[in-house]
Amino acid sequence: MSTLKLTINGKKIDPIKVPEEVMMIEFLHEHMNLTGTKFGCGQGVCNACVIIVDNEDGTKELKKSCVNSTSVFNNKNIRTIEGLATKDKNNNLLKLNPVQEAFMEQFSFQCGWCTSGFLNAATVLIEELKANPIRKSDVEKVIEEALGEHICRCTGYAKYYKGMKNLILSSQGLTL
Amino acid sequence: MIKKIIISSLVIGTLVNSLYAKSSDLIEKGKEVAVAADCYACHTNGDGQKYGGGVPFPTPFGIVYSKNISPDKQNGIGSYSYEDFSQAVRRGVSKRGNLYPAMPYDSFHLVTDEDTKALYAYFKSIPAVSQKNKKDEVSFPFNIRMGLKGWNLINLPSNTFKPNPNKSKVYNRGDYLTNSLGHCGSCHTPRDATMAIDKSKHLKGNFIAGTMAPDISSSELRRQGWTQDSIVSILKDGYSKRGTILGHMTPITYHSLSKLNDKDLNAMAVYLLDSDEKIDEQPLTFKNHNKKDPGYTLYTGYCASCHGQNGQGIPNTAPAMAGNGTLNQTKPLNTIYTLVYGIQKQRYSQTNAFAAMPSYKFTDDELTNIVNYLQNTFTNLNRTYTKAQIVKFKKEVIEGAHDE
Repeated sequence: MSTLKLTINGKKIDPIKVPEEVMMIEFLHEHMNLTGTKFGCGQGVCNACVIIVDNEDGTKELKKSCVNSTSVFNNKNIRTIEGLATKDKNNNLLKLNPVQEAFMEQFSFQCGWCTSGFLNAATVLIEELKANPIRKSDVEKVIEEALGEHICRCTGYAKYYKGMKNLILSSQGLTL
Repeated sequence: MIKKIIISSLVIGTLVNSLYAKSSDLIEKGKEVAVAADCYACHTNGDGQKYGGGVPFPTPFGIVYSKNISPDKQNGIGSYSYEDFSQAVRRGVSKRGNLYPAMPYDSFHLVTDEDTKALYAYFKSIPAVSQKNKKDEVSFPFNIRMGLKGWNLINLPSNTFKPNPNKSKVYNRGDYLTNSLGHCGSCHTPRDATMAIDKSKHLKGNFIAGTMAPDISSSELRRQGWTQDSIVSILKDGYSKRGTILGHMTPITYHSLSKLNDKDLNAMAVYLLDSDEKIDEQPLTFKNHNKKDPGYTLYTGYCASCHGQNGQGIPNTAPAMAGNGTLNQTKPLNTIYTLVYGIQKQRYSQTNAFAAMPSYKFTDDELTNIVNYLQNTFTNLNRTYTKAQIVKFKKEVIEGAHDE
């Protein structure tokens, strides 16, 4: 057992004893009741289980929660799909984040299993573009680099791709 | 008279049929030789034409490109007589001049006349492709090919393969496949100052482009617990109980070894282990976890989900760590390479593939802890490296990988 301390979606979690072999996705599901992150391949290939780590130096990392155990996230600040939208004090939804809106607009996903991983990676991409805008001609390439490894078996990728492209090109400050 | 004509026609027909059968048998045999020699992997570029050459080979002296070996008259071997072909394959002298020893003629000199003839028949029978040969980018003075004549004089024996009368037929077949057609020593034997294969260190391992083509001498393979079965398995399928192949070995498995028959693969295993007797399988090493070791948290954190809590691995996903041959190598270069660069998804044959392994941005302390933990938990090496040693190994790996 090791003691785990971390912040999830802006909320500090009291130190908790967890067996070292527990993978992060299991911890989120079973200990935190955060079931939005999905278990796909379990081998770190499909990216369905990707969550966001916000480092102290302002950098962000995408981590696969199915192949990294809780110890990897000790003392970290993480975000899961449950933390992307704006909510009130009682956890009522106030506003979806722009990526969620863009994906819904295009009906980007059908069964939804891969959605959490896509959303987290796409959210990080938008945040990075806010800090470092790109040329309009590079948009397609950048989307592919950021999301190309995420696997979806329902909608054939075209719809999420269109949603992301529209979002980046129509949002102020993301392109030069 | 009519009877004579009928008999003559039958005789001629039979002769023609027999000649045709002989020629198609020869071509079929040549195809098998080409597979065992893995001509395809070096002479077919990913996006190029089949046997059209153009595969780059970075050497310390510059880039050498493989050549078109299809029967195209202008760019390939279309105008080659058998003697020309034999000279190129076994003596490194093509019709255009001396070849660089990136072409393994220093192994192929052992190929028998029978196999060379079959190989010639096969390459004359395949479709000609007109892909133009790329000019080698070799710096002065190594671009003067006259120097290769001297190199050949010193480093190229004139003999073809001679079976060892004190060894079995199976062993000798394995020796032939390993050392002549398979040219395993081209990568697995270190080279001397003249870049010739150092025969005194036969198959003792060679560091190439950031990775170790491991020591596959019989003593080392036996120390690591390899058996005929596990060697056949890794040659044929790319993976075995003792781990998987890595990097540059992948296309060799895919295009060549996975297509050899079990008899030949077993012969190679018999030769490599220097044992006709079946070697018994040893238990895979797992010495229990030391939960107080800082490497334990790293193992469970990053490795255990795929490689198993006790290092047992998951078939066709991730190899076992318990008894793993890569961890068991005397220097942890390939372990460090794998952790620093990860492994791309690999297809070993038409039916076997492994998922990719991610790379990890470990600090030098973490890298030291995880390498020591893996070696001390899953092998019998009982060796603990200092951080300074690990940093030195890592530097070697990174510099080697960048030189490629």
